[in-house]
Amino acid sequence: MTSSNRFEGFGFIAPLLVLMLVAFNAPIVYMLGLAFWEKGRGFTLEHYAGLLEAPVYLRVLGNTMRVALVATLANVIIGYPLALWMRGLGSRARMIALALVVLPFWVSILVRTYAWIVVLGNGGLVNRALQWSGLTDAPVSFLYNELGVTIGMANVLLPFLVLPLFAAMIRIDDRLLQAAASLGASPTTIFWKVFFPLTLPALAAGTLLVFILCLGFYITPAILGGGRVPMISNLLDTLINQIPRWETAAAISTVLLIVTLAIFAAYRRLDRKASAS
Amino acid sequence: MKPSMKRRTFVGAAAASLPAVSILGAGSARAQVKEIRMIEAGGKSGESVEVGYIEPFTKKTGIKVIRESPNPLGKLRALVESGQTSTVLMELGSGGMLQARNLKLIEPIDWVAVAPQPMFPEAKHEYGFGYQYFSTIMAWRAGAKAPKTWADFFNTKDFPGKRCLPDYPNYAISFALLATGITPDKLFPLDVDTAFKKLNEIKKDIAVWWKAGAQAPQLMKDNEVQYAICWSGRVVGDPAFGVNFAGGMADLSYFTIVKNSKAEDRAAAYKLMHEMSIAANQAKAATVVSYTGPSPELDALLPKDKLAEYPTSKQNKDVQWVENAEWWAANGEAVNKKWEAFKLSL
Repeated sequence: MTSSNRFEGFGFIAPLLVLMLVAFNAPIVYMLGLAFWEKGRGFTLEHYAGLLEAPVYLRVLGNTMRVALVATLANVIIGYPLALWMRGLGSRARMIALALVVLPFWVSILVRTYAWIVVLGNGGLVNRALQWSGLTDAPVSFLYNELGVTIGMANVLLPFLVLPLFAAMIRIDDRLLQAAASLGASPTTIFWKVFFPLTLPALAAGTLLVFILCLGFYITPAILGGGRVPMISNLLDTLINQIPRWETAAAISTVLLIVTLAIFAAYRRLDRKASAS
Repeated sequence: MKPSMKRRTFVGAAAASLPAVSILGAGSARAQVKEIRMIEAGGKSGESVEVGYIEPFTKKTGIKVIRESPNPLGKLRALVESGQTSTVLMELGSGGMLQARNLKLIEPIDWVAVAPQPMFPEAKHEYGFGYQYFSTIMAWRAGAKAPKTWADFFNTKDFPGKRCLPDYPNYAISFALLATGITPDKLFPLDVDTAFKKLNEIKKDIAVWWKAGAQAPQLMKDNEVQYAICWSGRVVGDPAFGVNFAGGMADLSYFTIVKNSKAEDRAAAYKLMHEMSIAANQAKAATVVSYTGPSPELDALLPKDKLAEYPTSKQNKDVQWVENAEWWAANGEAVNKKWEAFKLSL
């Protein structure tokens, strides 16, 4: 009985499974293979050897990691207090706040990125306000550097962190906090000993999600980085479309995939340890 | 179930009737192909191809031309390696064309079949029809102190202001070298390390490295930068900018024949190339974008008051130098590694 049920279930998911295999997994396998192949000569390791000989491409990968880390931290610093504040709101205000957080999702990423040029440019809203109020004499360079890329990425990715965090926070039973208070714990102690540990799994998952998404960002660094913030996606674009050295691009992509999987595995291990203890 | 079947039949019937209409429209033309596909650069340049060459071509032959853009080299590689045969024409820059030739992605042109009207010799390439001259030049925001030479442009003390340079090494490296005093005739082979030294000197004043041609003029209009190296068609004739063709790079865009394309498609493509060689058509294309075709007789057909804006009018052609695409096809990948290292140091 159970086995036939299982088979029926398989029938339903088979189309999706085939779609995933053909449209998603097969190209990845092809990409992995491409890095080990040279036309006319067959198997080779020279594309990886090339990466080691001229480590500039790997340094771009390192730079990407650094920028992604900074953007993720910025997201945590903004997103955690925001989610916490939303938890304390009344139900109607909460709905409005939630809508405001999700709203940017419905606007094209391209439009949102260009909007930052209007807001943060030399003649933009922020700089005009700063100069008008006399805080600065010359315009502050918010754009076309790492700061601009970080701001743009944090803006785009904030909902990915806030939504799971908020969902975890509203599930926390208020009676736990009341119990801690009744036992004489100060608000700070309650937060760090009771509340924060309960949000930690969601925070870790959200942070990981944001970090991995940051690694693949293309549009934001291309527009707000002014060509001065080399990121791996933009390098891959050059290697795929301009040069076109797909084999090198495939080797870099493979390295990126392995690094990302390693980070994910480390997270899973930490997560399991945390839930076991 | 039934309604969906009905819809499918209807769509099928509609699709079947389309070619019939276009055959009728073709009139007496004996064309076996009803349409060919091309990949081109898009934007105003694509419109100029449509107005200047495709319209007269379709009128004469009844063959429609479907345009697609943009035109990165990677797309061509994907087309050829996937074994497609539907796209016959691909627009490539001079460097891209030679890379495509080396990678065996394009086929030689049958110039006998094209039977072109007189053309500048460099436009009649074994692997490409050079259909559009464009220049890469210095430009500045109206009101900024006008540079006369590349040494001026790279002199941020006497010509203060932020710069915007192309994020493509073939431009940045060549112009940096000219700024050190090397003359265009001695430019190649490029002394890449000296060029990077020059770029390092002023990198703090280079606010943006552009990838898309529209960026530089927009940034000058927004007063984010005051000086830029950009494509001539984006800035000439606009009072918001000052421009100088002196020391600029003249380059050609080519239409090439995609490998493995069908013989009847190629025959149609050669007829379209013939249209591209006609000076009157080139003059029409130049009304859409300030780039010019390869006919030596074109100047006479262009509006006199606009001659200063075109890359090939005598006064501009004489002060520019021509890109050495062969050097870049041989050295581009190695230079790109140094380029990425330089970008990491910004």
